[in-house]
Amino acid sequence: MKSFFHKLLGFTALTLLLSACSSPALDDYSDVSYELTDQNGETVIFPDDYQGSPLVIGFIYTNCPDICSFITANVSKVYEEMSNPGDTKFVLVTFDPERDTPEVLKSYAQAFDMDREPFQFLTGDPETIDDFMKRVSVRTQESYSRELDDGDRMYFLNHSDKILLINENSELIFDYGGSMTPVNIIIEDLNKLL
Amino acid sequence: MKYLYLSVFALFFAISCSGETEQQEQVIDGEGVQIEGAWARPASEGRMSAAYFLITNFEESDDALIGVESDVAQLVEVHESYEREEGMMGMREVPEVALPAQSTVRFEQGGLHIMLIQVTRTLADGDTFELTLNFSNSESQTIEVPVRL
Repeated sequence: MKSFFHKLLGFTALTLLLSACSSPALDDYSDVSYELTDQNGETVIFPDDYQGSPLVIGFIYTNCPDICSFITANVSKVYEEMSNPGDTKFVLVTFDPERDTPEVLKSYAQAFDMDREPFQFLTGDPETIDDFMKRVSVRTQESYSRELDDGDRMYFLNHSDKILLINENSELIFDYGGSMTPVNIIIEDLNKLL
Repeated sequence: MKYLYLSVFALFFAISCSGETEQQEQVIDGEGVQIEGAWARPASEGRMSAAYFLITNFEESDDALIGVESDVAQLVEVHESYEREEGMMGMREVPEVALPAQSTVRFEQGGLHIMLIQVTRTLADGDTFELTLNFSNSESQTIEVPVRL
């Protein structure tokens, strides 16, 4: 029994060591193509337009002030705190395309001082966004709604909390809790791709 | 080898205990209910923002935050983000926040926050706005909330 436990411990330690030293791809997005629109109304094809550059990509909706603003700020911080981000792209994609039009995303980006290179905020037609979210395992569901003074209905979403790190070959390298992962960990992982 | 096991156990124990320690605020002195470290996220007009701070109840008796008001948004509510299941975040309204005697309650990202629904003007980095907090026992307080990234 003691010998078995020793072997198990040794195997676990080896596994941890190997996983810390290498970054095998968790997924490969090179076989998909999604036509999206950025905050300036320009068409963007994911992942083709990002091939050749590492990509830090978060998923948000702009009517979410807490978790999603946290994710947005984390993506911004990864860029701001990196000494040499190279040609890395920093992207946020909405999973609420009905409300998050390019104009809304532009205004949101401006509020976060992110309406500039190398940041991009993407939306698309609802069907494309739905397919995209399924592919990257981002789940959403309507939670509750409020009636506002002007008669509009304001609804909120339960959603996955996610930032992905994708390499220059459109392979998923890391999948982080978007609001909970310390920025320095993402920076450390991203530096390994540069 | 047994020292290795002990070290691993001690490490896991230290990690598992560290979260609790941070939540236990040690109140030493002061009086009344005090709010500090307030700040809010930027937001464009008509969108959402969230405000955060620490509330310390220095009194010997319990209190509660029972309402929040501001003219900076159409609706101002206390909300809480929480993890519904692994990796899935939800948000719910919290009608009243207990402020036990001699304790600090932390409004922070990913937890309790003041929800500013449809802000009436763009809140940019460096702006400020007023927020009034109503308590069940203490007098209401109006604080200045700076907006920052």
